[in-house]
Amino acid sequence: MGRFGASFLMYSGVLAATPPTVATWTRVYDVYLTLGVGTAVVVISALLYAVVRYRSRGQKEPVQGAKQHGWKAVLAIVLVMGVILAIAGSQTFAGFTNIEIPNSPGTVTVSVTGFRWGWNFTYPDGQYVIGDLTVPVNTIVILNITSSDVYHTFGIAMLDVKEDAIPGKVNQLWFNMTEMGNYTDAIRCYQLCGVGHAFMIANLTVVSQSQWNATFGAQKG
Amino acid sequence: MFTALYFGVVGAVLALLMRVQLSVPNNDFLEAAYYNQAVTMHGLIMIFWFLSPLGVALFNYLVPLQIGAKDLAFPRLNALTYWLFLAGGLMAVLSFFVPGGAAAAGWTSYEPLAGPVYSPGPGPTMTYLGLMLMAASVTVGSVNFIATILWLRRPGMRLSDMPMFSWFALFTVVAMLFAFPSIIAAFLLVLTDRLIGTVLYAPPSILNVPGIDPSLLWDDLFWFFGHPEVYIVLLPAFGVIADITPAFTGRPLDGRNWILISVAAIVLPISFGVWMHHMFLTGIPNVLLEVFDVSTEIVSIPFGIIVIMFILSMVHGRIQFKTPLLFIVGALVLFIIGGIMGVFLSSPVLDRVYNGSYFVVSHFHYVMVGATIFGLFAGIYYWLPKMTGRMYNESLGKVHFIISFIGFNVLYAPMMLLSDMPRRIFTYQNIGDWAQLNGIATVGAFIFAGAQIIVAYNLLHTWFRGPPSGPNPWGSQSPEWSTPATGSVPVAPVETEPAGGWIGQLPGPQSASVSGPSPVSHAMSAVSHEVHLSSRPLTLSAGVMLFLTGAALYPGGAIQLSVLTIPPGVFPLALMVLGVGVFAASIVGWAWDDIRNKFVGPAGDPGGDRWPYDEVPKMKLGMWVFLSSEIVLFGTLLGAYIFIREAALEWPSPASVHDIPLATANTLILLTSGFTMAMAVYAIRKGDQRGLLGWLVATFVLGSTFIGVKISEWLGLFSGAAPFLPSSSNPVTALAASIYYVVVGLHGAHVVAGLVVLVYLMKKTARGGFTKDDHMSIENFALYWAFVEIVWCFVFPLFYLL
Ligand code: HEM
Ligand SMILES: [Cu+2]
Ligand SMILES: [Cu+2]
Repeated sequence: MGRFGASFLMYSGVLAATPPTVATWTRVYDVYLTLGVGTAVVVISALLYAVVRYRSRGQKEPVQGAKQHGWKAVLAIVLVMGVILAIAGSQTFAGFTNIEIPNSPGTVTVSVTGFRWGWNFTYPDGQYVIGDLTVPVNTIVILNITSSDVYHTFGIAMLDVKEDAIPGKVNQLWFNMTEMGNYTDAIRCYQLCGVGHAFMIANLTVVSQSQWNATFGAQKG
Repeated sequence: MFTALYFGVVGAVLALLMRVQLSVPNNDFLEAAYYNQAVTMHGLIMIFWFLSPLGVALFNYLVPLQIGAKDLAFPRLNALTYWLFLAGGLMAVLSFFVPGGAAAAGWTSYEPLAGPVYSPGPGPTMTYLGLMLMAASVTVGSVNFIATILWLRRPGMRLSDMPMFSWFALFTVVAMLFAFPSIIAAFLLVLTDRLIGTVLYAPPSILNVPGIDPSLLWDDLFWFFGHPEVYIVLLPAFGVIADITPAFTGRPLDGRNWILISVAAIVLPISFGVWMHHMFLTGIPNVLLEVFDVSTEIVSIPFGIIVIMFILSMVHGRIQFKTPLLFIVGALVLFIIGGIMGVFLSSPVLDRVYNGSYFVVSHFHYVMVGATIFGLFAGIYYWLPKMTGRMYNESLGKVHFIISFIGFNVLYAPMMLLSDMPRRIFTYQNIGDWAQLNGIATVGAFIFAGAQIIVAYNLLHTWFRGPPSGPNPWGSQSPEWSTPATGSVPVAPVETEPAGGWIGQLPGPQSASVSGPSPVSHAMSAVSHEVHLSSRPLTLSAGVMLFLTGAALYPGGAIQLSVLTIPPGVFPLALMVLGVGVFAASIVGWAWDDIRNKFVGPAGDPGGDRWPYDEVPKMKLGMWVFLSSEIVLFGTLLGAYIFIREAALEWPSPASVHDIPLATANTLILLTSGFTMAMAVYAIRKGDQRGLLGWLVATFVLGSTFIGVKISEWLGLFSGAAPFLPSSSNPVTALAASIYYVVVGLHGAHVVAGLVVLVYLMKKTARGGFTKDDHMSIENFALYWAFVEIVWCFVFPLFYLL
């Protein structure tokens, strides 16, 4: 099923292979979308049908003996909703791989510090760059995210990853980019942080593993 | 109600300003700073000064009619509710014009952005103080409604006979009673940070205590309140739907009891157990993500039951397509859409995309604007003939519905698609389809706003020129229609003074033009308020407002008045002094009125149906309800303290700061005062007035001693060897001091308030004001005093011993 509701995802159209976080997210989303749209269509149609079907044709008097539903109807609602929600929830639980930080060899870690108003990326070799995150292609990248002043939220919409940047706390997220390139403005802040919030943007640059190792990766792994 | 509508207009103007700014990329119509204020105040005003009060205004008008009470249980408190609410709103709106501007950290006021470091100036302080007044107003109001519903029902009306709207009113106020104390606590900490310089939410850059996480403390406190609050906003609208649907379907509601059970399940346990779904990205442990995913899914089940029951209530009816019915159907459709979006948000995985984006904005507008406003519109159209005795124009009502419904969807559906656009950005670059979608949304905003001009016209027209509607135009069985329509018999306004209440003849510049001396405006306050016209609640609220405004502005800059220069600090100080004066005068006046028995209510209490509280007098019931909100307040603060203690890796040991033997002795003194107070109650129960006076004096002496020792201890802590000051150089002590001063200080304030009341009680006793059969105030005060002691029994070990 297509992903509507993701205008910025024009980038994922140009990616040859779908990044794993996007694949997982989309899998979960498709289930929610099917169930959600299905439920909405059924319930709203039922409502509209009932309203139109039982419209008054001039009657003014109260109707006698309209049916009252009891615990059976309630049980049915609970069961049907329970099943729908259980399916949805189990998909989410399966999708927790997007949230859990993989513990495999060969990952690289970059520290991210949000500040008013920009992003500071500190690489394993100690150098830091503001406003541009460079990562190696086809590698699991782990970001350690924090903030030096107020609450920010670090998000890369094209990868479906996002995590809060909270002062005094380090949060982690991971992704694996499948294609090299310069992705302008791919990184944004999603938490109101003051007048510069709208401009708290950074680029994502994906380079080959060897190039990345040569530039930043003093201690890969 | 006018006041709520007025704030609604303010909020809407802010929203339109924002939509204009966002209509095209890279716009510079509003600057970032103003945009942020607009976005924040739009949220705060719409939620706290428009939606909730509009629902409560309907409660105020209808609940007494539906349950057959003459008025609310405590009419003067009701007036106080109104004036506090208005004073709070004025402060919030005025804060735009104060240095620092209105609050600009979002309605969620995330810390540390909302704190003194990153939002300096008196403006935000004033906004938050206004919010506190509003919260106080809500607490007073909920006590009043609960007492009214439990105690003042007409004889023979069991709780289970109550009309649905009154039931929903009861659930809403119960939710308010438990939710608002935690926001009072949360903002109390913000305000002490801003005003007194405590460091409870200070960011690590200012105060680095290992392990401490002020942002998370705020998130937890705020959302523990914030989630129940969104249901508080919704429930009045559902109450309208449940109550009035039968009038248009010609059949009773289906599954009435199941609807009530579902609401009960939502309000009491579940809505207080899902708050962390607003914190999925804060790095909380995965098991919490799972728990709150599931609990959020669970909360949608009772909503599902309610919605399906509403739909089943249409089946086999004979549905008349009148305006209220259209709004009901609209509200349900929009709620179904918004609720299902909520289930998407309940997934911590999907929330990785939605959090902080326009998808969330779309979700909550579907439920808050869609379901709530549409539902309330249904109610307003439906009860308009009751309020005015006149019928609105049906075709205009239908046009209003159709344009609103279309405009609404044009406005909020595009936002569903903007799940990659951050919310609360004041401008954006031309990326993807952001420009198109935002452009469409702005068009929708104007369509939606335009539709509201129609309803404004329709309401005013009905009010003054509408055709008479007859006493029961809908043929409803519900009790409120059994009294004559209030507007059908024009009466000259006799009230010289506002009786208060959120409905009725509300003075003030904005409503004078609307209500004026029209016969209708008087008739709207269908419940009688004559017995207790009093200006005390008004002056009391005004006093508090002046004082707080002064406190927010202090010290401020110098003021130039032509030749005269007023040095900094003088003007705010003058405001504060004036405020205290007015406040004290109103309190004393109020007490004095009472001592002289100025308020003689209708003789005796009407015998109403009071199950399950037959035995409990009204005042005592009110006191119990009030105390239960106080328990939540102190509970939240102590929870915050434990949260901080748990997180902090080190903490100053109590023995190093406090004189523990002295504090223990002082605790015993307070406990003894509890004993003397109990003796006072026994004395008057036997009718012994002299004994009463003696024990009251003893209580007063003991209480004063307690507070005296407390104060000397505080002074010692401010100047003593152990630097226990908020500004202390040692971060942990600063933090420990901050929470200590706030909690112990709040308890101290309760003791002082108690002592003030004691003075009044002693005075009244000395005049022989209490007898064996009439000494309710003594009993109530004893309850209050016992509560203050019990709180101390928690505070003392937590702060002094552990
Ligand atoms: C089936 C019922 C509902 C579910 C499952 C649900 C779920 C959620 C979730 C998970 C969020 C957090 C999204 C995020 O910040 O990333 C949220 C936000 C919100 N919801 Fe709901 N919701 C439901 C109904 C409602 C109702 C009835 C209202 C109000 C009338 C409401 C008002 C809000 C508001 C105001 C926010 C945003 C708060 C903010 O960040 O400013 N929701 N909802
Ligand atoms: Cu930001
Ligand atoms: Cu919530």
